[in-house]
Amino acid sequence: MELKYFIIRRALVIIPTLMGLTILTFLLLWAYGPNLVAAGFESEKYHNVAAALAAQGFNFSDPIGTYFSYLAHLFTGNWGTINQPISAKTLTAVEIFFPNTIQLAIAATIVSVIIAIPLGTYIGARPNSPADQAGRIFSLSGYALPAFWLAYVLIILFGKKVGVVPYLNIFPYDGNGSLNVSSPIFNNFHVSTPTHILLIDALIAGDIPLFESAFMHLILPVATLTYGILAGILRFIRAGMVDASNQEFVKTARAKGVPEKTVIKKHIRKNALLPTVTVLGLLVSSLLGGVVTVEYVFDYLGIGYLAVYTAEATQVWGILVLTFIFGIILMITNLIVDVIYAFLDPRIRY
Amino acid sequence: MVEENITVTEQKERLKVQDLKVRFFTSKGIVKAIDNLSFSIREGESYGLVGESGSGKSVTATAVMDLIPDPPGRIIRGKIYIDGFNILTDLDQLAKIRIKSPTDVIIKRKKRLIKRHNYIMSGIRGDKVSMVFQEPFLSMNPVMTIGDQIKEAILLHGRVDIANSIIKRETMNAQEVSKIVDTIMAQPDTQTRNKIIVRLCGEYAIPELAKPFTDLFENSTDRDFIINEVLSLVNTKKTGLNLEKLEESKNYFLLRERILDLNLELIGAEHSGDERTAAQLEAQIKELKSTMRSQFLLYSIKRRFMRRFIDAPFEKFAEGRTLELLTQVNIAGPERVMTSYPHELSGGMLQRCMIAMAFSANPQLLIADEPTTALDVTTQAQILDLMKEVNKNYNTSILFITHDLAVIAEMCDRVGVIYGGNLVEEAPVKEIFYNAKHPYTTGLMNAIPRAERRFEKTARLESIPGSVPNLIDPPSGCRFHPRCKFKMDVCSEKKPKLVEIEKDHKVACFLYSDEVEEEPREEIP
Ligand SMILES: Nc1ncnc2c1ncn2[C@@H]1O[C@H](COP(=O)(O)OP(=O)(O)OP(=O)(O)O)[C@@H](O)[C@H]1O
Ligand code: SF4
Ligand SMILES: [Mg+2]
Repeated sequence: MELKYFIIRRALVIIPTLMGLTILTFLLLWAYGPNLVAAGFESEKYHNVAAALAAQGFNFSDPIGTYFSYLAHLFTGNWGTINQPISAKTLTAVEIFFPNTIQLAIAATIVSVIIAIPLGTYIGARPNSPADQAGRIFSLSGYALPAFWLAYVLIILFGKKVGVVPYLNIFPYDGNGSLNVSSPIFNNFHVSTPTHILLIDALIAGDIPLFESAFMHLILPVATLTYGILAGILRFIRAGMVDASNQEFVKTARAKGVPEKTVIKKHIRKNALLPTVTVLGLLVSSLLGGVVTVEYVFDYLGIGYLAVYTAEATQVWGILVLTFIFGIILMITNLIVDVIYAFLDPRIRY
Repeated sequence: MVEENITVTEQKERLKVQDLKVRFFTSKGIVKAIDNLSFSIREGESYGLVGESGSGKSVTATAVMDLIPDPPGRIIRGKIYIDGFNILTDLDQLAKIRIKSPTDVIIKRKKRLIKRHNYIMSGIRGDKVSMVFQEPFLSMNPVMTIGDQIKEAILLHGRVDIANSIIKRETMNAQEVSKIVDTIMAQPDTQTRNKIIVRLCGEYAIPELAKPFTDLFENSTDRDFIINEVLSLVNTKKTGLNLEKLEESKNYFLLRERILDLNLELIGAEHSGDERTAAQLEAQIKELKSTMRSQFLLYSIKRRFMRRFIDAPFEKFAEGRTLELLTQVNIAGPERVMTSYPHELSGGMLQRCMIAMAFSANPQLLIADEPTTALDVTTQAQILDLMKEVNKNYNTSILFITHDLAVIAEMCDRVGVIYGGNLVEEAPVKEIFYNAKHPYTTGLMNAIPRAERRFEKTARLESIPGSVPNLIDPPSGCRFHPRCKFKMDVCSEKKPKLVEIEKDHKVACFLYSDEVEEEPREEIP
């Protein structure tokens, strides 16, 4: 069908973008220079940096050849090592940290959408009512207050109640490479298996206390993120509702005798939600990219947390790989948004 | 003030508008969009409303549907009788308007009453009166298929009738069929016969069989053969659905219709100050609602969560009817159009779809607000023919709005000329064209380009000097006086009243009558 071809075509566009991304990150690698690049590959085992690099196929006097070696490394997952926040292969670190961010982002997105759609509909159907004013203040505060501030406030207010103070990291993991619990779902790398998403793994293993703990640890970070996302999309849904209500087809619907509630839910809202999909897509991709401050404040071992450490310690391989991953996330969410949009809006020509 | 009983209007008047006054409260001031407008449309009549752009034609049409966008607009006074019921009966209770200054107006809306008003209006709109809008592209929901939009209109009204039709189809037996075949065969005239067939097919929820049946009766006179054929065709259309469930749906909608009717009565009783009846009606409504809640609890839950399943027979009916409607408006490839989105169709096709939609419930009154302005000339002629046909065949009254006098000449029986929110002249169409009285109307007439005039020696297209007045601060007295060639002193001081100067011919101009329209002193200017 047409939609299928649209998806394929749209997916193919990713390839050149991806190549561009590899070139950009390669420039970054070049800029860091031989010493820092070699650091990721146990350079101390070799008698000099050049030898260490040569063993990986890198030669800083041959940009083209090095670029292709770099590509090989990138696509095979041979990403060297990092030593902060954990001392491990970069690939392993990503495997540990990334699923946590996915879990957080998905949870925050779902909660936001569940709240935003009915709330946005309600507010958007009553522009300038007290409810709308309240929503406006809420959104404004969501924009104005930095996430880390809210995070701290939430910890102070509720941290004790949900039992996550003083350390809020999702793992029963002490930050020094050892585990505090001996749940069978953890392997040596402190990664829960099989999905690497603790909530799900705990459920699969039937470890209810662990599930509960993982759930409790999620509440505050999710609340913090939800506040920000809600602030954004609530305004968008509201604006979309007001905009759609003023269009002629709404009059037609009323003229047919469609009851007011159905006019709002069926005719106005469906049109209002279209632009919101785009905004939500952007928000989710930024979430997946790791909401650095939120993860940092909550000691939440997500990819943002990892990014802070790799950047701080100039661990080149961590930086390169994370930049690359962020780029891919952005492309994929954009693709998904485009497809959803095409699916929802018949006017999109594929 | 003495109020007449709300159900008493002159018989056969499908629409009666009395003293309509519409205001828009904007940041620049109060737009006096419609002032003391009165007119009525009889059964089967086509009434044209003409005037320049901005004269208030669309506002009048929208007001008749009670769809004036609020904010900024409100109908602030008047009566609009649709089928004898004044839809503005509860107007005064809906909102309190306080004017501090023209740019600072406080409107306190009574939410509960507005809710009831909307509920009642949604029962009237689309059922008794439908509207075709000016811009077909903007007037269709862009993210719903044409079929879904028409089906929605069909399923909003007359569910009980639909259920009855389906039950009739499902229980149709040989005896019934032979009786019907006899009646049809007894009809010698093919045309009437075909009409009967179409009507019966609609009644039995088998509109798609109308065509094979007419062919059948045309090609055969063998009674038994026809009966057999009809029976077998009807049997292919029977779905064997659960009639008990359908009965349940029917009873549910019967109750809903009953509650709506009682609410209409309640408003009437409240308005006429009959507190005892009102209290009785209120109690009755409450009781019915609680019956509905208890008796149809399970049903409403199912309807809410398994809509598709519960509504399946209705949906199927609506699909057949949609196809039939689309065929009626001469759309090529109705099946394809049904699954199309508005952006996939041309303006002419969309306008046909709008007309099909407007006719889904066979309304008695159709409001057409410049339905052909956005279309090219050929399509325009086709659409007009279509509307004329409908007007004739179903005896539908039409309120036809346009600024094109040629279209008026073609379409309308009677014409009202509107200027600055006031009706300035009203007469049968011939009178307007050959015996126009009001200086504005004669001006409009002279502005029509006519082919034959090009060859007259003195031929000149005249236009009316000046432009439509600003309705925030309209001219005093006769609103036309700044542009009028015959302006007298009185014209800027007093407002002429619309009076009947010849039979059926009303004019508001001091050239013909001295009667002055008394401007009522009221809170809202
Ligand atoms: N939403 C609104 N807010 C403010 N003023 C309005 C609004 N809608 C209509 N009006 C005013 O009401 C007056 C009549 O407008 P209306 O749309 O009825 O004109 P019309 O006769 O239909 O013109 P056209 O031929 O251009 O459609 C105009 O002066 C217009 O400014
Ligand atoms: S009342 Fe006076 S100004 Fe108005 S149309 Fe008649 S003559 Fe002209
Ligand atoms: Mg108009």
